[in-house]
Amino acid sequence: MSKIVILGAGISGHVAASHLRRKLGKEHEVLVVSPNSNYQWIPSNIWVGVGRMKSKELLFPLTPLYKKKDIGFKQAKVVSFHPEGDATESKPYVLVEYVDGEVKYKKEKVNYDYLINSTGPKLAFDLTEGLEPGTNKAYSVCTYSHAEHAWQGLEVLINEMKNGKKAKILIGTGHAKATCQGAAFEYILNVEQELRRHKVREMAEITWISNEYKLGDFGMDGMLLSYENKTMPSFEMVEMVFRDRGIKWILGAAVTKIEDGIAHYENLEGEYKFENYDFAMLIPSFAGHEFKAFDKNQNEITEKLFKGFMLVDADYTVKPYENWSVKDWPETYQNPSYPNIFAPGIAFAPPHAISKPRKSKNGTDITPAPPRTGMPSGITAKIVADNIIDSIKLNGVSLNHKGSMGNMGAACIASAGFGLTTGSGISITTYPIVPDYEKYPDSQGRQLGKTFGEIGLAGHWLKLLLHYAFIYKAKMKPFWWLIPE
Amino acid sequence: MTNQITKYQRFVMMNPVIQFFKLIYLSLKVLLVVAGGHGGTRG
Repeated sequence: MSKIVILGAGISGHVAASHLRRKLGKEHEVLVVSPNSNYQWIPSNIWVGVGRMKSKELLFPLTPLYKKKDIGFKQAKVVSFHPEGDATESKPYVLVEYVDGEVKYKKEKVNYDYLINSTGPKLAFDLTEGLEPGTNKAYSVCTYSHAEHAWQGLEVLINEMKNGKKAKILIGTGHAKATCQGAAFEYILNVEQELRRHKVREMAEITWISNEYKLGDFGMDGMLLSYENKTMPSFEMVEMVFRDRGIKWILGAAVTKIEDGIAHYENLEGEYKFENYDFAMLIPSFAGHEFKAFDKNQNEITEKLFKGFMLVDADYTVKPYENWSVKDWPETYQNPSYPNIFAPGIAFAPPHAISKPRKSKNGTDITPAPPRTGMPSGITAKIVADNIIDSIKLNGVSLNHKGSMGNMGAACIASAGFGLTTGSGISITTYPIVPDYEKYPDSQGRQLGKTFGEIGLAGHWLKLLLHYAFIYKAKMKPFWWLIPE
Repeated sequence: MTNQITKYQRFVMMNPVIQFFKLIYLSLKVLLVVAGGHGGTRG
């Protein structure tokens, strides 16, 4: 009998738990430890943030589902990692602290045979002074509760605009190394559409602010994509959409400080500037959770497990941008020091950025961090689950399932406005996610044809279909496993 | 020169009939890319 402990119940953790439970016999224990009581389909948060969807439509409680499916669940957060056990516990374990109910604050050692760290990112609002969701007129859509607050703030502003107020709206990234530009991109287009729906569009100046060097970088160094009958760089496509929607942009911006209605930033030219706003939605930096790890003698061994995020089978050698290779990226998400620990999704430490790193003239790093959200999170979690299943069945380490982001496609179905007949979506697929300049030297590291863009109503319908399909899948309803990650 | 969304392109983008067929095409194309397999890069 094996015990698999999964830390986190987001996309990555839930996918891993679902597949493990489906494919492993009941004699094996699958246990999820997460401080969150609900599963949430994060990609739909942007619709909550514009008041077009209620939170309850994108979340459901985990306890009843896990009980029904025989998956253990502890509503707790991880405190520390002990991959060698200690003097009193011979098996490896994680120390967890309950966060709810009568057992709140109680700590417990949870031992394991295999550990999947899918704790995702820490939303590091604190790394940008004054950036806290719901304060200083700045909001976030990173969680459903953040998105609810954002809609409350936006709704108030829309009503003020209806009474004649001119407003400035600022949306983008709130830190020099933020990632997830795609979510902010979706949100700015949805906000713009909602303002038109409320007939107040002419009252608002909407500005995109981002740490990207060019529009359409998305933390992936941009891409050359097929659009209609031509090949178009992603920055041209995004510029075309922004011009069409009357959206201004500020690029290469490291937002450093937020005051009430003022975003201070440094740009790549080294200039210190600010932008006034009446409503802002800024994506924070994603950081590791600052977990500590200890060996069996209680000596700290954090550096064997973490480098901000968790260390996996990547090449972390520091080298110049010109020497970066697609082969640096991990394939199995296994920790090199402890082979029974894995970190899929956002929890693994990327070997380097995907976008070319840039510094301001003052030496400030202004580079988008690589995205690992959504589809890559799900795919890497399934790879990890499949390798653990094989290892258990073969009674030895098996790493036959591999999935490097340098050999994996991804689709970003970006909502550009909600509405069954008035909605729009920008569908972009990329193959591979991390450019492979050896395989595709003439198309910026990506395979044309598999890297394409489409704009239109169908994109909105597809995003909506995916919303329902992935919630169906997450609820583990009949044949859920036929829906790909 | 900056690309612009023309009136004709906008008509195509928002026409429900055309977009219905586009949805089928798009779904299949996306499925081919994302479910088309993945693997390692180190040979």
